[in-house]
Amino acid sequence: MMWPFASPHSGWLVLYLLTFAVHIVLVSYVLAGTTYALIQALRKKQDPIAERARDLLPFMLGLGITAGVAPLLFIQLLYQQPFYTANLLLGPRWGAVVPALIVGFYALYLAKATQTLRIRRLALGVGVVCFSFVAWSWTEIHLLMQDQPAWREMYAAGDRMYAQTGVLPRLLLWLGAMMTLFATLAAWWAAAPERRRLAVIALAGRAVSALAVVLLVMGDATVISAAHGWLYLMIAAVAIEVAGWVWIRLAPDGAGLTLVTAASTAALLAGVVVREAPRLATIEPPRAAALEASGFPVFALTAVLGIALIVWIVRSIRDRAVPPS
Amino acid sequence: MDSPVPYYPVNEFGPLMKGLVIGGVGIFHVFLAQFAIGGGMLLYYFERLGQRGVPDARTFVDSTFKVLVLVSFVVGALSGVAMWFTTIQVGARTIGLMIDEFHWLWATEWVWFGIEISAGYAFYRFGPTLDHKARRRLLAIYAIASWMSLFWINGILAWQLTPGRWLEGGGMWAGFFNPSFWPSLLFRTAVATTLAALVACIVINTMDLPRERKAALIRIASRFAVPMAVMPLLGMWFVAVIPADSRQWLMGGSMPMTMFVGVAAAASLLIGAYVVVGLVLKRLYINGATATLLLALAFGATAAGEFVREGARKPYTVRGVLYSTSITPAEVAALRIDGATKHDPYPLRDQARYPTPQLVHGAKVHRTLCDACHTLHGANAVVELTRTWTDDQLRLNISKLQRTKAFMPPFAGNAADVEAVVQLLRWEAAGTPARWPVSDDPATLAQIKTWLDEVGTSAAGEP
Repeated sequence: MMWPFASPHSGWLVLYLLTFAVHIVLVSYVLAGTTYALIQALRKKQDPIAERARDLLPFMLGLGITAGVAPLLFIQLLYQQPFYTANLLLGPRWGAVVPALIVGFYALYLAKATQTLRIRRLALGVGVVCFSFVAWSWTEIHLLMQDQPAWREMYAAGDRMYAQTGVLPRLLLWLGAMMTLFATLAAWWAAAPERRRLAVIALAGRAVSALAVVLLVMGDATVISAAHGWLYLMIAAVAIEVAGWVWIRLAPDGAGLTLVTAASTAALLAGVVVREAPRLATIEPPRAAALEASGFPVFALTAVLGIALIVWIVRSIRDRAVPPS
Repeated sequence: MDSPVPYYPVNEFGPLMKGLVIGGVGIFHVFLAQFAIGGGMLLYYFERLGQRGVPDARTFVDSTFKVLVLVSFVVGALSGVAMWFTTIQVGARTIGLMIDEFHWLWATEWVWFGIEISAGYAFYRFGPTLDHKARRRLLAIYAIASWMSLFWINGILAWQLTPGRWLEGGGMWAGFFNPSFWPSLLFRTAVATTLAALVACIVINTMDLPRERKAALIRIASRFAVPMAVMPLLGMWFVAVIPADSRQWLMGGSMPMTMFVGVAAAASLLIGAYVVVGLVLKRLYINGATATLLLALAFGATAAGEFVREGARKPYTVRGVLYSTSITPAEVAALRIDGATKHDPYPLRDQARYPTPQLVHGAKVHRTLCDACHTLHGANAVVELTRTWTDDQLRLNISKLQRTKAFMPPFAGNAADVEAVVQLLRWEAAGTPARWPVSDDPATLAQIKTWLDEVGTSAAGEP
């Protein structure tokens, strides 16, 4: 079956996956962009990609966090008990993601505002550490949620770290994907020579992800049959995307970027479905209160209004901005 | 897990009781979020005045105040996520129930927050380069969207204390527009505008302007603090609609609660009186130090108000549905038979500390039924609260918990659970000696069961 999600959870699952994908795009820009800006600051390179990233990073983080609230809401509907249990097992160590994000957010502002290279490097370094910690924590909690047999022992031992062998390769897979997503987004603002450099970053990202997949397969990871169709779609999309990046490397002004964006979007959507499929085994029967809850029409109308207002805001900025004298 | 009650792993926070943990995060979050809401309204007002030619109003809009609003809505958003995570730590079933019941409204609130953050960032980044109309509209969208966030979240929070007709099957909307919805919403709106006015007074004092021009700006900003004057009325409205037992605790039944009500009311009254008499009628100048002092007073009032709101819900976290122990009224009857810990899959982390299985049992019962509001030796320490009671007094008071204190839930365990907790408290009070006798006298257990049966499984004051 191509669509692995049976009702009555379908609606929540679709919203969860879509909002999660949007969240991932934004936080990818943040983590990979901060790392890129740090590397260029360490190399003392004047780089338009890094400068643009530094300028945009606080805004992107704000959007990424806001976008992350939606999947956080839907995950509590779908996997309430495993999600809460994993939260509680990791305890304050898990809660540290919030101060890490606050520190990271202000580090990005500092990196943007300062003219002192040393402070910029320090601020970007702090940002990379904070956001990597958050990415690691989410990878950890995702796996811990599914490992019910480990809960009791972990609680008894008072462990706050889930040191399962799959955590690091899985994190590596995401870090690779984040490099590619950063390059895709950044390329839309980039000039031709910059796109060539971004193509290298994107291809390197895919290589890192491929290495992570090899490590996961060696560690007995499997893709459940319900997700197979999506796996093939993802592989095809990644193949097209890789070809697109090679094209951009050779002809940066061509239509390669459109192809790459379409293919990476398809790869991301297929990827989040493949990621979700194994977790479906832990999905709970929907609770009556959740199934019977009303309010969807209000949400749908507000969502339409919200999209219209955000589009209007973007157009206002574009059309009405007075050029600086 | 084949259990009628979902058990979650329990974390302890040293000497802090969980109410202090959630209270601390909550007060920080509420203070920042409410300032961001009032700040948006105030920015819009000043922008309008500036465009009509009021001197320095535009300068104020583009001053540090704008940055403070931005800081607040970002940290407000993050501390909102922190609230979710902290609520999971202290009462996972409560937040789960709220999500189940109101997820579409929460999603609606999220959309408004997305609008708020888009408009806020757009104004922050592009404001200086936009024309008058676009600036005004962006600030209007920001102000409306941030207030709408409050509108939706307020209904969900108010539902916890006063579910109203929702309890009779009136549906989600009856729960959302519950009896304390409007007083809470107006109360929070007044707090939001007052916080914005006080921060504005501090910022204006830092601006490089002659004193008379600062005074003119302060007079404009202080209009936003005038709603504080109606806080006593809103407070009375709120108290009038909450359940009668909660009202009694606030009005003298529970001295700590009454004191916090007094602190919140007095602080609000002082700020309101200073604003109306001093700033509006007498047109006095307020310097940065005084404004900061009033802001600190407002923080105190916010903290006391949040404490009252949390405390008034006891013995429930969701009135009539879920006790503060995260057990439903229906489940109490089942646990009276099975015992509180029969299905709890999680062992104690410090099991080796206890010399007898009965004390291990007592510690597990304490973790399941007491830990939500008490610690053993820290804040609200149950060992100290009961130290001077006799053994039989302890057994009776725990068995008839909802009669011992009306804001306590009924004991959700059997006679063996009561006796295990009694022995644990006695052992802790005795300084945790290495040897401790097992208490299993059938007559004692029979007496406890009689008390449990007599008191029933309903909350105090309920049939």
